[in-house]
Amino acid sequence: MDNASLLNLSYQLAAFRSIDVIANNVANVSTPGYKRESVRFEEVLEHVKPAEDQKGSQTLSFVKDAGILRDLSDGRIEQTGAPFDLAINGSGYFAIQTSAGERYTRNGHFTLNADGLVVTEDGDPVLGDGGPITIAPDDGDISFGADGTISGKQGQLGKMRLVDFANPRELQKQGNSLYSTSQNAGPATTASLQQGMLESSNVQPIVEISRMIEVMRSYEATTTLEKSSSELKRTAIQKLGTVQ
Amino acid sequence: MRALSIAATGMVAQQTNVEVIANNLANMNTTGYKAQRAAFQDLLYQNVQAAGAQSSDTGTLLASGIQLGAGVRTAAVYRMTTAGALTSTSNTYDMAISGTGYFRVQLPDGTDGYTRDGNFQLSAEGQLVTQQGYTVQPGITIPTSATSVTVSTTGLVQVTLPSQTATQTVGQLELTRFPNEAGLKAQGDNLYTETSSSGGPQAGVPGSTGYGTIQQEFLEASNVDAVSEITSLIAAQRAYEMNSKVITTADTMLQETAKLGS
Repeated sequence: MDNASLLNLSYQLAAFRSIDVIANNVANVSTPGYKRESVRFEEVLEHVKPAEDQKGSQTLSFVKDAGILRDLSDGRIEQTGAPFDLAINGSGYFAIQTSAGERYTRNGHFTLNADGLVVTEDGDPVLGDGGPITIAPDDGDISFGADGTISGKQGQLGKMRLVDFANPRELQKQGNSLYSTSQNAGPATTASLQQGMLESSNVQPIVEISRMIEVMRSYEATTTLEKSSSELKRTAIQKLGTVQ
Repeated sequence: MRALSIAATGMVAQQTNVEVIANNLANMNTTGYKAQRAAFQDLLYQNVQAAGAQSSDTGTLLASGIQLGAGVRTAAVYRMTTAGALTSTSNTYDMAISGTGYFRVQLPDGTDGYTRDGNFQLSAEGQLVTQQGYTVQPGITIPTSATSVTVSTTGLVQVTLPSQTATQTVGQLELTRFPNEAGLKAQGDNLYTETSSSGGPQAGVPGSTGYGTIQQEFLEASNVDAVSEITSLIAAQRAYEMNSKVITTADTMLQETAKLGS
């Protein structure tokens, strides 16, 4: 393939990846605690030898996806009224104990299990300062304070473990709204808890749709470019190949 | 191109959302109905490039990785166990639970069902039964000659018989609670049954610690909030449309690709 086709191909692959990431954002528009992602591209320069009748070096500029950036801004806080729906305001994560080790989440939709443990929808216990949190039926209505203090009818029952990280962008997504990391979890200093609320996904529909149209149009532009470059070759072959 | 399948998971999720909302709206006037909500979670991620991986010999690290998502899934449809408003009915055998607890009724197969719908009636034998004719447990029989029936907030059922001045106690209603009432399985007919997720039933006297009280001549309305349901419905519909727009866009791009060779 010639350079024009290769350059087009590098952009087309990047466009496909952009659309995949946008599709995942749109699909998760109702997932509590979901953080929108965007693809970052970088230019890859390649120096080629100049053609015979040209001077100086030629540079080809390919495009390559450098990484996916997570937008860590807070989502809207929506009221649900469920006593174990918790939203974190500010930077911080809930700690969850899973069979694969400690995981972190911003999706604060929790429930009780048969043993009275506070668990996620997958049944993994939510961690408090002293391990999993148990609520007895006699505790009555449970209230969560802004600092994570859990109290029932019979007084304080414990405190939610809210953690934060030096580099939250490094957290790896595990699916099921969970993150994993090798970083050490420190206490969250700026986070405050709100009960009966859920943090909705921070995906902004208008941004995603307009971004999607933008990607589609530039993809169309590259295919047009590809078509004309192929047309150019065809004409060249026809003209040059004609016996005069 | 995975955008097509990702958007499809989004459409399926929003469809579930609309179905749950439709069921809530349909049950707006169902006694003791608890609104449901669909809970969503993101699907697994494919790791293409890990954040924090080395990008050179000198130990510089990649600031961000590439993780490609696969869409969304419905993790659960859960019940909001908040109380509904108590509405006065002036009907002797209507009972509402104010606070925690369920009435226990015996299902035709001999097992126990639980309900917050206290719209009771008397059977031909004078037993307190639900609208379906299932006996309320523990069984309470009201004498046919009784002139008035009073149910106290603590569940004591007393009747006044003709030519007697003192009231007579004919039974004591019980309430049942669960460690996790959201885990109960809805059976239809306003009945729930125990599951391994709800935990075992714990019976108690109304008004004792951790149990609600009984309000005679009241019924608990459903806790569906029409305004919030309608706004959720609009949001779900828009999200559905957006996902279908993603499919159209991905399709257009694929068509462009197919046309390249022509």
